[in-house]
Amino acid sequence: MAKISPVIGRYVTIEVDGLEYRVFWLENGDGPPLVCHHTAATHNHQWRHLLEDEDFTSRYRIIAYDMARHGKSDPPSNAEWWKEDYRLTADHFVNFVTAFCDALELDQPTFMGSSFSGCVALHLALRKAERFRAIIALQAAEYAPGWWLDWWRHPHTNAAQVCSSGVWDMMAPMSPDNERWLTLWYHMQGAEVLKGDLHFYSMDHDLRGRLGEIDTAECPLVMMTGSYDFLTPPEVTLATAEQVADCDFIEMKKLGHFPMSENYPLFKPYLTQALEIIERKAGA
Amino acid sequence: MAQEAQAWAEKFRKATESDPIIQSYAKYYTCDFLLDMEELRVGVQMRDGQVHNIEINPAPLEPHQFSLHAPAETWRKMSEKHPPPFFHGMWAASVREDLRIEGDITVLMQNLRNFTAQFELLRQTGVPV
Repeated sequence: MAKISPVIGRYVTIEVDGLEYRVFWLENGDGPPLVCHHTAATHNHQWRHLLEDEDFTSRYRIIAYDMARHGKSDPPSNAEWWKEDYRLTADHFVNFVTAFCDALELDQPTFMGSSFSGCVALHLALRKAERFRAIIALQAAEYAPGWWLDWWRHPHTNAAQVCSSGVWDMMAPMSPDNERWLTLWYHMQGAEVLKGDLHFYSMDHDLRGRLGEIDTAECPLVMMTGSYDFLTPPEVTLATAEQVADCDFIEMKKLGHFPMSENYPLFKPYLTQALEIIERKAGA
Repeated sequence: MAQEAQAWAEKFRKATESDPIIQSYAKYYTCDFLLDMEELRVGVQMRDGQVHNIEINPAPLEPHQFSLHAPAETWRKMSEKHPPPFFHGMWAASVREDLRIEGDITVLMQNLRNFTAQFELLRQTGVPV
């Protein structure tokens, strides 16, 4: 008998800042929406385990999309994007996430982002608190300079190998080989956009001095970081979380920068803990 | 010490040339690099995925294209089977610990997938310091 997944994929066309994007998303489950965003230069397969986990899909509508230019979501259809140097900005990123949620008519979704999308999660908590039930920011920091590098897109190197090898160390060495290699494989596929994604991460994203403005009474915020993440070590995320009133911080032991993808069984109890916090603070 | 280091070099050569990950990518893996372990230096010459030569304590003017420098204790931690956080790779240790990467970074980047895999073989072979 064929093993057919309950996960379904669809496309929706949205407009963001005058740009038209055809966006692909995967979803499964029933309940309050939990919108999941991948890390830079990858796609929604990073959430493959969560999308098929009945412990969560029985209680939440899990939605994982590909950001424009990633996975099955193309660059803008109404612009000559090939003539421009792609540089993601905080404004466009925030507008993209909210336009996607609007297009799917999601009522008070919980947003969960990781790495660069963990950082945009902080922007959503700051600017769009009224639109979201709660925010989970994985592997995020108030400021993450130093990674907008030409090496990610250098004509003298193999970008796929450079980008994927660059993220290899961000995973915990004890995470299963097959999961680490899949995580690496996703980065190989998206190497061309890594530098543009990291323009947001290392250049345009800077919330220093603004974290006190986040209202966790309106939109609870949980921050989580893996102990092996050298990019955003636990102390860096903690230092960010401590500046936000009533922000919860969870250190994920023996996990790296891609917890949902590199070792889902270890990630699952931490996600359960985060969602329990949100249920308690945001209500059923 | 010298004999032990030579034995380690042979072990590292065999591990490299029998590693299926490296050999699956290694057709053009060609570069010369130096691993400076404080108490001892290791020069490695790779040619098309094969170890052309490993020299313990090469002469000061022996050329190499890029080099990694760290105290012996850092190398010992990086070679543990399950290294502690931030000793678990070249990038992690150079950003968060005291590993320094010097030389022609373009060559390192051109060979990065293979070099990363070879670097992790230290978790199997240990280090000669």
